[in-house]
Amino acid sequence: MEKISPMNNDTILTVDGVWKKYCRQLKRAMWYGVRDIAGQVAMRRQPPAGRPALRKNEFFAVRDASFELRAGECVGMIGPNGAGKSTMLKIINGLIRPDAGRVEIRGKVGALIELGTGFNPVLSGRENVYVNAAVLGMGKREVDRMFDDIVEFAGLAHVIGDPIKTYSSGMKVRLGFSVAAHLRPRLLIMDEVLAVGDVAFRMKCFKHFNTLTQNGTSIILVTHAVGMLPRVATRTLVFDQGKICFDGDVQQGMTIYEENLSATEKSARPLTVEASDHLAGAASIVRVEVRDATGQACSSFQTGDPLRLAIDVHCPQKLESARLVVALCSPRHDELGSTSSVTSLQRPDLDAGTHRFELEIRQLPLLLGSYYFNISLYGADITDFQQRQSGAGVFRIVGPEVDVNGNGLYGTVSFAHAWSYNGSVAAIEKT
Amino acid sequence: MNTRPKPPTNPPSANASGEPLCAPDGGPDSQVTIYDASSDLARPGRLLWRIGSDFWAGRELAWRLFIRNLRGLYRQTLLGLLWIFLPPVANTAIWVFLKSRNVFSFGGEVQTSETVYILAGMILWQSFIEAFQMPMNSISQNRNMISKLNFPRESLVLEGIADLVFNFLVRGLILLPAFLIFGVAIQPLALLSALPLAILLLVLAVGMGLILAPFGSLYQDVGRFIGMVAPFWMILTPIIYVAPTTFPGNLLNWLNPASPLLVATRDLVVTGTTGQIWPALVYGIATVPVFLLGLVVWRVSMPAVVERMPA
Repeated sequence: MEKISPMNNDTILTVDGVWKKYCRQLKRAMWYGVRDIAGQVAMRRQPPAGRPALRKNEFFAVRDASFELRAGECVGMIGPNGAGKSTMLKIINGLIRPDAGRVEIRGKVGALIELGTGFNPVLSGRENVYVNAAVLGMGKREVDRMFDDIVEFAGLAHVIGDPIKTYSSGMKVRLGFSVAAHLRPRLLIMDEVLAVGDVAFRMKCFKHFNTLTQNGTSIILVTHAVGMLPRVATRTLVFDQGKICFDGDVQQGMTIYEENLSATEKSARPLTVEASDHLAGAASIVRVEVRDATGQACSSFQTGDPLRLAIDVHCPQKLESARLVVALCSPRHDELGSTSSVTSLQRPDLDAGTHRFELEIRQLPLLLGSYYFNISLYGADITDFQQRQSGAGVFRIVGPEVDVNGNGLYGTVSFAHAWSYNGSVAAIEKT
Repeated sequence: MNTRPKPPTNPPSANASGEPLCAPDGGPDSQVTIYDASSDLARPGRLLWRIGSDFWAGRELAWRLFIRNLRGLYRQTLLGLLWIFLPPVANTAIWVFLKSRNVFSFGGEVQTSETVYILAGMILWQSFIEAFQMPMNSISQNRNMISKLNFPRESLVLEGIADLVFNFLVRGLILLPAFLIFGVAIQPLALLSALPLAILLLVLAVGMGLILAPFGSLYQDVGRFIGMVAPFWMILTPIIYVAPTTFPGNLLNWLNPASPLLVATRDLVVTGTTGQIWPALVYGIATVPVFLLGLVVWRVSMPAVVERMPA
């Protein structure tokens, strides 16, 4: 990772060659904790240059991370679970120490790691606003001045005197966020807090973030809801196995994230073969290939593209009335839909040898992500099972990019559709 | 972790309402905070200065947490403040009953009412053991806050001390009716000289607790062990008997950190004089370095503790 220059005028944050290691084994981690504390007290711990040494059972949660953040930038940190995002946030927030490297921050840092930290359920909303604000570093006078704005932003003026245990979880989240949103830090750190509240409140939050960044506050946003990033982020950092594997454009970062996720999902769902155990000489699926419209092997498609699935079946002996059942699956939802070869084929009798079937999906009705097929081979009877392959023919939908206006923002399925505007209802009813 | 002022190079920008977003020169927005792997103790003078300034910075949070805990606690109890009085009163009642049955002896002559003698000792012991356990309990009760937010950790110590002082003063009040009921003369001068000793006793206990707290939050064994040995420790402390003056009892008295200051305070309060002035002075002087060491250990160990807290 490239080493970065000293802080520039408008640089709010500099992360330079940061490494962080954790121990997988709890008891050993506690013992290392005692040793680390003793080392700190005895001043034995000097910052090592470059990669620190690992002790037994340790691994790197963050590896040689370097980046800068300028005033008014909003960076989305994305990556699969365990990629090192939250550890990086904790280091930037000063909660834990890096094992090597250095973090330099100019100005006040505000962190929204967990909303409503410090809330006491038996105290009123009003009392909890003051407690929560104090925890976040706001003074009483500051809160006095902003109290009405905080309550109004949360939309809880009518219940602010009630004990907080009478609030719904959504109300608590709104109050917690509202307090935190009124911090005026130079750097605001948020971990998965965009996933809370109703849509209207979320939109209000986005608007607030935009106001903050326009006024020079920098924001670091960790989220798995990557579809939201284009609304607020100006840049993405993609984490993978503790390393920053991409730093740049939001859309590009999201694509890389999806690809990394697909690779993870692919490796997490290896091909499995389930064969009939009561049939001697059962037929088997020997090859599955995903192809594009021209018949070339392909694994990346756009939504709406045609896809051809070639399936080679080997029969050691004659198989009568062969039937294939193919399920289209996603790692997140399992089976999305299925089809049987009998829908458009007579059941062919297969002589001994290898035979090819082809399934054409004319328009892939899928959004960004990774997909695969589960394929089952049957003989003449419904119960005449020969073999099943799960996780075969993995492919990815890599485009088009998520539309910030909302098209394709949520879910898995794309559907053919058309919009029309028909004018005012009064005029329509008149005619 | 260091914070050093850095001259700002940008003019302060303004928010939508026209208020300056960035602090003027020298304000918090012109400070540069650095996090790296080096030990804070590399510059001990600056570390102590930072601890002091974080005590100051955390005073408002400490006050809010103190009020929050107090209100929260007493809104959920029927007996409210009585819960501060009850443990030492109940303990005293048990020991007075046992004494009336000659289960134990004082091992010397008590110059005042035995009930007041035991009650004063119990109040001090209760406050001492609470002060000793306070830092560990504070980490445990505020685990969520500590692991998620970076705020002056010293505010938790301050809040704990506020809690201890409040409880100590409320408990101290029950001595007044006890003095009247059992006909013990109140000696204002002796009371006045006992007060700094009582403060030193609590500060010593907090200091020892601060040193132990990080290890206690890593290993639950520490808290369990303290819970187990606390009753024995109380018996080893001359609360229900007169401080021994002969070997080996007097050596034990010297070695027990709870003993000299507690006994001297108790003796001054109930009899107006004490034979424990030298041990109390030695421990009183030792209190300062122990407390400072406790604050340093508390501060430098917190990142390692947070690192091992469950998410």
